[in-house]
Amino acid sequence: MDPFATLGFERRYHLDKTLLDRRYRELQQALHPDKHASAPASERALTLSKAIEVNEAYRVLRDDQKRGEALLVLLGRQLTDQTADPELLMEMMELREALSDARAAADPARVARLAAEVTEKATATSRQLSEVFARMEGEVGTPQARQLTDAQTLLSRLRYYRRFQDEVAQFEDQALA
Amino acid sequence: MALMQIHDPAAAPRPIGIDLGTTNSLVAYVPLIGGATTIVDCDGDALVPSVVHYPSEGPTIVGKAAVGYLKEYPEDTIASVKRFMGRGADDAETRRLGTYRFAADSGPVVQFAVAGSRTVTPIEVSAEILRALKHTAEDEIGEIGGVVITVPAYFDDAQRQATKDAARVAGLQVLRLLNEPTAAALAYGLDSKQNGTFAVYDLGGGTFDITILVLDNGVFQVRSTGGDSQLGGDDMDRALAEKLLPQLGVTDARAATPGQIRAALMAARSIKHGLTDADTVEAEVELPGQASVHVRVTRTEFAELIKPLVERTGLVCRRALRDAGLRPDELDGVILVGGSTRVVAVREYVEQLFGRAPLGSIDPDQVVALGAAVHADLLAGEGDRPDVLLLDVLPLSLGVEAMGGVAEKILPRNTPIPASAAQVFTTYADNQTGFELHVLQGERELASDCRSLARFTLRGIPPLPAGMARLEVRFDVDADGLLKVSARELTTGIAQQIEVKPSYGLRDEDIERMLLDAYDHAETDVATRALQEERTEAERICVATEKALSVDAALLEPGEGAAIRTALAAVREAVRGEVANVIHVRIEELDHISKPFAGRRMDRSIARAIAGRAVNELELETAHARGIESHLGSEGETMKD
Repeated sequence: MDPFATLGFERRYHLDKTLLDRRYRELQQALHPDKHASAPASERALTLSKAIEVNEAYRVLRDDQKRGEALLVLLGRQLTDQTADPELLMEMMELREALSDARAAADPARVARLAAEVTEKATATSRQLSEVFARMEGEVGTPQARQLTDAQTLLSRLRYYRRFQDEVAQFEDQALA
Repeated sequence: MALMQIHDPAAAPRPIGIDLGTTNSLVAYVPLIGGATTIVDCDGDALVPSVVHYPSEGPTIVGKAAVGYLKEYPEDTIASVKRFMGRGADDAETRRLGTYRFAADSGPVVQFAVAGSRTVTPIEVSAEILRALKHTAEDEIGEIGGVVITVPAYFDDAQRQATKDAARVAGLQVLRLLNEPTAAALAYGLDSKQNGTFAVYDLGGGTFDITILVLDNGVFQVRSTGGDSQLGGDDMDRALAEKLLPQLGVTDARAATPGQIRAALMAARSIKHGLTDADTVEAEVELPGQASVHVRVTRTEFAELIKPLVERTGLVCRRALRDAGLRPDELDGVILVGGSTRVVAVREYVEQLFGRAPLGSIDPDQVVALGAAVHADLLAGEGDRPDVLLLDVLPLSLGVEAMGGVAEKILPRNTPIPASAAQVFTTYADNQTGFELHVLQGERELASDCRSLARFTLRGIPPLPAGMARLEVRFDVDADGLLKVSARELTTGIAQQIEVKPSYGLRDEDIERMLLDAYDHAETDVATRALQEERTEAERICVATEKALSVDAALLEPGEGAAIRTALAAVREAVRGEVANVIHVRIEELDHISKPFAGRRMDRSIARAIAGRAVNELELETAHARGIESHLGSEGETMKD
């Protein structure tokens, strides 16, 4: 599936989110099951599967990381879960250790400090990623392999940060239970 | 409601909306003239207490009349049944302070043991309430067409399925399960036409929901939702009752009799209500068989007592905001829903949390039912309807148990619905022909901490070396938030369709039996109902097809229009007959012949949506400037058109 095509956008990292939201709502006005509640079964099935595809495409395009990953896949890159960057691995190992200590100590303030630190890193990485894509999209012709690799590295960095943030969220959710 | 409704016996069945609440339930509809309105009983009351009394002999008693039995028959009179919906016999709820006897050997579904050595499931108790509401509605508006029933946004799959099953047992045709906060937003937003981002804070008798949504020219798009389906006014009553019991001479609350507990809970509730308008409430409380005791509770004491409960809602709200990627000051308004938002400490907490005074111009008890009625009318009403669309999300992540007992998410929470996702698994042993799948819902890391929805084994996998077979498991979530799972073996293409029924759900046979029991040999039989349903369905499809033929005639291929009209005439002919199955077959034929036409119509509307509507966009910009405050002037409890 090409989420850009589904929502009628060019294959670019930078897109107008206000337009994205509006486009999404316009499409669901035409496709959502509520709009076909009294239609014959085949029309309901047809529009339902398209409505699901639009929902999925919207979820991908609205999220910077997912949009970036989808774009790289469309540009022919294989994304893997592993990273070869030893510096990142070391950094993450230290952060995770600090987090599990703070969790074990049930110290919400320490968890919050770590979360803020990672959020800052994630924001900086997002900015860099945006710049790499901006350069790529500012040039004519196919992107250079080096630029794609840079984007890929930044995306895997982001993925690690996000997983860390998920873990923090887990801790907060457990406080609820 | 000053207007008399005069029913026309030949009038089309009318859709209704039902708020099936923990403490009270309501039914509402949209009349031909005017906005949504709740339907009142012969005493002029819209609220029906969600209480069901099972006497040792004679018919079951529901609502106001059942309330009178609460004190005397605490075990045979079920209140707050919603808290047990979709729950297992071992659920924590069965161990909280309460008055019920649970059937010892009740299988996976919790069952109450009531008078006359009967056992009833929460589904049957809820069905009694729904049936009572249905009768009230029929007295007012004649034949009922279909129903939208509201559920807490945070209800999981098992709880949603149980609600739908209850409706089936009550003989109601469910058009849609609608999330309560979304229903409330619909009632608020529709006539005021404001745009912006809103939080709906919904604290009811037994459940808490927070929903962050965007209103944009008739589109209500939920950004995130969160909640606690075991947190509400009941818990405030319990907290106060546990404090009162020692003062009333019962030192160990756990050892109290059902009669004592019920009396303490009822006293706590009335003190809670009193504290909405007064700083201090003094009351004489009498436990069964004891002298009455004078108690005094201040607002501050009560606020202190419920503080942990109220703060739990704050954590949930912060998470929902985070999921929506918003700060509190980015909201345009906060809407209060649910009777428990009348508690002063709750209002103050919400105001502090969001940094603004919440809105509450529509009666918080009625707003959900009114929204449900509006949605039912949008789905099944006749004539021109306002251009409204509700886009909702999955409240809790769906996943499967992976190796090592870890929960692996397949669809994360807050995914827009309808949604689907697929995941590929492989075998871990040579020649493995079966694969066990454990479907989960929840946010926790460990499968054992998540809600177990279903366990089943996929069979018939071809014997292959370990890791060679590839199993694709597909999750489909519909617009009601209900899940279906299917699986396929990819190397050979062997497909298995599995209908996931939650582990705590009822089998279809159980529902049929309850349905038959409920008819009491008095009402219509199943065959008549089936015929009626087919006729209604046929009528709707004919109207929709005729409209499509006239509006989109340009998209028809030569001869196609004539063929569709012939099939249409055959459906109409079948409707005049008496055989449900014939109508069914004719509908399918019409469906088949009009499918390519439907495809072209869809493609064209997609192209139009992508091309955009320039004029519309200009209007959007100007409308955005107006806030929801413009709505606050109107004090009516019903909506204007």
